[in-house]
Amino acid sequence: MNVKVHFRLEDLLVEAPAGTSLQRIADAAGADITFGCRTGSCGTCRVRVVEGLHHCSDPSPEERDFLQGLDAPAEERLACQVCVHGDVAIEYLGL
Amino acid sequence: MTTLDSLLRDKVLLLDGGMGTQIFARKPTVEDYGGAALEGCVDLLTERRPQWIREIHESYFNAGADAVETNTFGANPVVLGDFGLSAKAYDLNVQAAAIAKEVARSYDRPRFVIGSVGPGSKLITLGHVSYAELLASYRVQMDGLLEGGADAILIETCQDLGQIKVAVRAAREAMAARQRKVPLWVQATVETTGTLLVGSDVLAVLTSVEPLGIDVLGLNCGTGPDEMHAHLQALKESSPFFISCLPNAGLPENRGGQVVYPLEPAGFAPKVLHAASEFGIAILGGCCGTTPEHIRALAQGVEQLNPPKRTPRLERSAASLYQSVALKQEPPPLIVGERTNANGSKKFRDLLATEDWDGMISIAKEQQREGAHLLDLCVAYVGRDEVRDADELLSRLISQITLPLMIDSTEFPVIEKALQRAPGKCVINSINFEDGDAKARAILDLCKTYGAAVVALTIDERGMAKSREQKLEVARRLYALAVGEYGLDPGDLIIDPLTFTLGSGDEEFRKSAIETLEALKLIKAELPGVMTILGVSNVSFGLNPASRHVLNALMLYHGVKHGLDMAIFNASKVIPVAKIDPEDRKIVEDLLFDRRSEGYDPLKSLMARFSMRKAAVADDHRADLPVLERLHRGILDGEKQAILADVDEALKDHDPLLLINEVLLGAMKVVGERFGAGEMQLPFVLESAEAMKAAIKRIEPHLPKESNYQKGRILLATVKGDVHDIGKNLVDIILSNNGFEVKNLGIKQPIESILKELEAWPADAVGLSGLLVKSTVIMKENLHFMEELGLKVPVILGGAALTRDYVEGDCRRSYSGAVFYAEDAFEGLRQMQALVGGGTGVPAPVTAASAAGEIKILRRGEAAVPLTAQGQSSWVRHDALPPTPPFWGVRELSDSPSDLFEHLDEFALIRNRWGFSQGSQSDEAFAAVLKEKAEPQLAQWKGRLAGDPIFQPKARYGYFPVRAEGDSLRVFDPADHAKTLALLTFPRQTSSRRLCLSDFFSADQTDVLALQLVTLGQAAADHAARLYAEDGYGDYFAFHGLATELTEAYAERLHARIRRELSIQGKDLPGRALFAQGYQGSRYSYGYPACPDLEGNGPILELLQGSAIGVHLSESHQMDPEYTTSALVAWHPQARYFSV
Repeated sequence: MNVKVHFRLEDLLVEAPAGTSLQRIADAAGADITFGCRTGSCGTCRVRVVEGLHHCSDPSPEERDFLQGLDAPAEERLACQVCVHGDVAIEYLGL
Repeated sequence: MTTLDSLLRDKVLLLDGGMGTQIFARKPTVEDYGGAALEGCVDLLTERRPQWIREIHESYFNAGADAVETNTFGANPVVLGDFGLSAKAYDLNVQAAAIAKEVARSYDRPRFVIGSVGPGSKLITLGHVSYAELLASYRVQMDGLLEGGADAILIETCQDLGQIKVAVRAAREAMAARQRKVPLWVQATVETTGTLLVGSDVLAVLTSVEPLGIDVLGLNCGTGPDEMHAHLQALKESSPFFISCLPNAGLPENRGGQVVYPLEPAGFAPKVLHAASEFGIAILGGCCGTTPEHIRALAQGVEQLNPPKRTPRLERSAASLYQSVALKQEPPPLIVGERTNANGSKKFRDLLATEDWDGMISIAKEQQREGAHLLDLCVAYVGRDEVRDADELLSRLISQITLPLMIDSTEFPVIEKALQRAPGKCVINSINFEDGDAKARAILDLCKTYGAAVVALTIDERGMAKSREQKLEVARRLYALAVGEYGLDPGDLIIDPLTFTLGSGDEEFRKSAIETLEALKLIKAELPGVMTILGVSNVSFGLNPASRHVLNALMLYHGVKHGLDMAIFNASKVIPVAKIDPEDRKIVEDLLFDRRSEGYDPLKSLMARFSMRKAAVADDHRADLPVLERLHRGILDGEKQAILADVDEALKDHDPLLLINEVLLGAMKVVGERFGAGEMQLPFVLESAEAMKAAIKRIEPHLPKESNYQKGRILLATVKGDVHDIGKNLVDIILSNNGFEVKNLGIKQPIESILKELEAWPADAVGLSGLLVKSTVIMKENLHFMEELGLKVPVILGGAALTRDYVEGDCRRSYSGAVFYAEDAFEGLRQMQALVGGGTGVPAPVTAASAAGEIKILRRGEAAVPLTAQGQSSWVRHDALPPTPPFWGVRELSDSPSDLFEHLDEFALIRNRWGFSQGSQSDEAFAAVLKEKAEPQLAQWKGRLAGDPIFQPKARYGYFPVRAEGDSLRVFDPADHAKTLALLTFPRQTSSRRLCLSDFFSADQTDVLALQLVTLGQAAADHAARLYAEDGYGDYFAFHGLATELTEAYAERLHARIRRELSIQGKDLPGRALFAQGYQGSRYSYGYPACPDLEGNGPILELLQGSAIGVHLSESHQMDPEYTTSALVAWHPQARYFSV
């Protein structure tokens, strides 16, 4: 099954197999998301999932702990940690 | 009528000051005492000089005291016995209380008399006096004070936890006998050491006296007010009782042979009043060195006091002589050590038979070291006198063991003797209803008298409860009796719903584990606040040791999930469930939950599976293990010292090559697997590698000359233009300690040098590493270069900015030899093993994408934001005026290392740099790793480095006038805004917002660019290199991570200063959010996504004159020394990280 990921700010629509990581999709499509450590501990790749939050994998303990430290709302995620299992629309928060 | 209690609720009560001070001021003579033999018997002066005592009370009442203490500090038979006056004790107490009452009644507002009971001259905990003698002595005193009319009993200046409990009991019994109940106050004396004389901390005191039901717990004597703060804070947070505070007038000083208390009334009062407001204190006064003037000074402030309402939280706990231990441990369960038990441990029983008390204490200490929280103690042995044995053992043990005790006996006299011997709060094991409730009642009486918690088994007249319903029913009955009738706190009732063995295969018990687990859940749900316990290892009784460990561990695991708080367990045998083989786990869980099926009996499978297996986990006595097993364990546990003796022993009759190949490398393989499965943290892996290195070094001289245990060779280098060492060094550590020969060429290696080395030292593979984004490009260029030379040697690539797609796509296309991606050092190891094994590298894990299809771009919005006339992204707005810097030009700073710790991102350090990741561990287990390993490690480094000359932080920063010109920034001379110093050019995004760093600066007017440069200094870089050279892998890795984060912390600190100086600090976010760009503007460093080219460092160093603080540029445009970083700071609100 394929899923669609919409990078809102640049209106970039990408199709990828379900379960692919958002980092891989963003890299492959050249999306305007800046990654730092890629391990869920620097926060550079923070995104807001504006649609389809339930299609995102649950936060890993690292991501959960990081976002808790920021008091971030549930729809904010670290793009390097998320796998997408259904259609989602996201906005990069770095800018 | 105003009572003492009601007054206490309305106001802060003011007590008197020192009695002795006032008496000695009157210079009593031998005549006053009534003879030379009686000199110093202050209590006797009540009878001989009653007028003095009256005057002293009056002077305190006149100074404003609400209550005074009787002159009865030592008026009990034990103390008076030293003067041959025991018989006078009762009368002196009656008389002293009566005098004070008489004075109190002469005032028109309510004044009270507090019966003072001092600690005496003999310490029961040290065996100076027997329990019975001390109890009888205090009883006489209490009777006298109550008879004389004391309004409260104050057991004060307590130095011995055991003494407090005896005195409280005496007071309770006296009140009961006279049917006159008055408030019971206790005051402990905490010495400057932070504990009572016998070593108890204030929480141990609280836990021990709390079940005895007192009214006030406070502090007096020992120190002045300031030194009491930490202990008052502990009481403020935890004590349900009123707090009193009667300090000395400061710490005594010796002035010309005279003991002087230095705090004058004017200095004393504000300190005590401050403590009252700070810690919610209800009763104030003074002790040694304080006078009516001190009390007068307090009286002036006490009316205005309005101490804060406290909401104390007391965790249900047990206590030893020294400390309090919460029964609810985080993570659960609390472990009760089971080996100091003559029924359970043969060794302990044998020691008991020969009365080897020290040997028994050694077993107790061993369990303490192994992590037990409580000690189960049982000295029942047929044919021996159990009461005497308990007395003998406890009298020696209580001062040597810091753990609270669980008194395990069925005999009432044994339990009572033990409770008299043990000073803290014990747990009694146990009560049940086997023969009705008479025995349970007798033991609950002991709980109330001595302040103990109790284990209660779900056994009644029908026998042991087997079904969950029956277990719950008995538990309800236990609760009704212990909590309902006897008034125990529910948290002091510890219900044991019984564990039966699953090892017998008996049909009746097949579902016994399920029933026990479900009963735990029911009991916790229905009887709020009670605690639960299981004798977990009973579940595997009759099975062989190897299977017992696994079954016990899983019973414990599921017990905790069902609400188990405490477990009687051998602390050294607690194995993390994550370490259990999945197949073992499945069979054991099938047994626990009775999942039998046609032709499958988990019990039989378990027995078959474990029949040949030895217990794999920690055994009581490591020395008893075969030497090869000790070696294996030594590697897993990273014991680089202890392993050497085992190596020496093994070398005696084992082939050195076999030791390396089979045993040591075998153990390292397990380390790798555990790391891969997320069960072992990187720092532990490094400890294992250090042990490996130490062991190999020891073995090497014994290897036959021509032998080569090494499996293959790899040449490692960090690529040109990149100084990042750590990832490559980790690979070096892991590979070289897993049997590979590694040549580590270091950092900044141009491909030409790498290939030249390869010619001289042919290797099975080349490993290229790099952290920078730019390094990924260099790696591809290197592969091109190698391709052109027609090379075929396999190449393994690793580094933070690499992705598997990039390596397996772009990089592979550039080179016809094999190219592999290694996500971490262990994947690199697997690649190498496959390569030398004749394969071509392990296939990468199949990703969902390659299995199911590709990533396709369906639509890309219009690239774009157009550029402005000046060639800048029109997305960036220039509405605000640039801020004005406080100065133009450059300044230098130097900071102390401790300043940097304030800005340290501990999360990034511990998780990212030090590699503590949760992996497959539970939240609780990982929290424990952080708490027990990571945080202490950080604290240790802080201690080692703060102020250490290893770090010499220096910085230069400055403000430059600039103007944007398309993709460039023109930097002007701060002294002459018309003169250009440099033109900095940056790359621009080709799509989307088409951003370039210059866009965040104005093209129409002069803007301000801040530049910064920070370094930890050359010594830090040297130190890291030295640690690595000395094989201190763990230290090297930890130090490097810390130094790197501290460099960041320094950059953050300076950036924060710049924001303040530009007055844009208003948007700084609190806490961790700050590290995620939680501020206005952005800080860009060369080598990162917005400006990846390191060449830019050159002009920055020149502008800031970096050489002034010893920073130079290497030929690859990196800054030297290591732990240096520079940045351009943009103030623009839209400035954020982006990639080009």
